[in-house]
Amino acid sequence: MFIDIDCAQEKKYNQNTYGDYFLSKRYPDKDALIAVLSDGLGSGIKANILATMTATMLLKFVEAGADMKMACEVIMNSLPVCKVRKISYSTFSVAHCSEDGEVKIIEEGNPKFIYISDGKVIEPEYTVIDSDTFKNRHMHVYKLKLKLGDRLVFCSDGVTQAGLGNPELKLGLRRSGLMRFLLEKINDTPDISSSELSQFVVRIAKNTETDRKAKDDISCCVIYYREPRRALIFTGPPYHQEKDYEYAHEFYESKAKKAICGGTTANLISRELQIPVKCNITRSVGKLPAVSSMEGVDLVTEGILTLTRTVEYLENGFNEKEKDAAYELMQFLLNSDCIEFMVGAKLNQAHYDPNLPIEIEIRKNIVKKMTKILEDKYIKRVTLRYI
Amino acid sequence: MNKIKVKLCMGTTCFVMGASELQELVDILPEKFGDKVEVQCATCLDLCSSSSEGQAPYAMVDYTVISKATVESVINEVERKLKNGQE
Ligand code: FES
Repeated sequence: MFIDIDCAQEKKYNQNTYGDYFLSKRYPDKDALIAVLSDGLGSGIKANILATMTATMLLKFVEAGADMKMACEVIMNSLPVCKVRKISYSTFSVAHCSEDGEVKIIEEGNPKFIYISDGKVIEPEYTVIDSDTFKNRHMHVYKLKLKLGDRLVFCSDGVTQAGLGNPELKLGLRRSGLMRFLLEKINDTPDISSSELSQFVVRIAKNTETDRKAKDDISCCVIYYREPRRALIFTGPPYHQEKDYEYAHEFYESKAKKAICGGTTANLISRELQIPVKCNITRSVGKLPAVSSMEGVDLVTEGILTLTRTVEYLENGFNEKEKDAAYELMQFLLNSDCIEFMVGAKLNQAHYDPNLPIEIEIRKNIVKKMTKILEDKYIKRVTLRYI
Repeated sequence: MNKIKVKLCMGTTCFVMGASELQELVDILPEKFGDKVEVQCATCLDLCSSSSEGQAPYAMVDYTVISKATVESVINEVERKLKNGQE
């Protein structure tokens, strides 16, 4: 399963920084991720520092191999108490999620997370560990087994207490109010992404506040176990021409989202499967040929130049004024979780003609470069197949 | 009379050899010849891989291949074809 995770936040009204801190990191070699949400006491820069420290330390602890329970205990026992308000300097929730669905969660002081499965809220069992040093501190430890489609929603108390003291909502939105909104939203849009759902929660919380002014920092983190979004990219003609039909067919039949990068490749698929390529006569944007279209394929672009430019965008970000074909390809890639390249190994002799004004890179090399960036920087799963 | 079909190649080789400039023809040809011509772009005319056809960028005017195509050479070929057609 793929773990879709995102967090949305809103600062307390009139503050210039966030008092909640969210941190998450994927460990592709372990098929797992760790996420931490910490809420610092008060708001503004002081809270920001407290929350950042708590979250960062926790993550570093666990990353260094410490047992999560132990790491949390150490932090719970050592977090100081505010002299004036007699409450902890920060609270936290940590989740360790494996792609097979095993999830470990520890909470200290934050509102209880919401576990949604099959359109219903599940209240899982937990064990309580009391702090050795502080009477009123304890953590909740959960062990869950999630399945496809399940979600976990974490939030800071800025969400559950939104609207506190309103004439209609004396106790604020509360966990129960949030649950109602969540279930309704998921019922309407069952496939909603974590980024959209977390933004939705923040919006709801803000709308609940009087005059839409957040009285506390608002954060919501959503973890969603879903089927990975797959993408398949066909680039370059296969080495053995007699296999053209086979590969074209395999490509076309795939359930993944599909892109073709390369004029010759597009022609080949069009010829083998008798589907016309429609070449756009709108002017090319920037220094790249425009995208074309083919029925059943999500994106058709020119090959090497576009791929090279896409690598640049992926590396340095997109700063152009106009969206060109490489931008489209970048979006296509970033909107997928698992990406497979079918790289045709046949060389186009014309590309190595010394008369060309620029040197055209070898397809294999560009795709390799792209793979590395997609894996390292964007944590995508990429498979390369030379055909 | 059948329309004259002009195909401009926007494939990699042709593009780096200057086909991007040929795109002006998308506007120029209809302005000049009205609906007597139809302009299309192609992903690759498959001419670049065979050296016997000359040099990129390529364009096709009906079935005539124009190698090292320029805006002028394409217009000239269209004019020639139109003249021949009228004879
Ligand atoms: S790129 Fe123009 S003919 Fe192939």
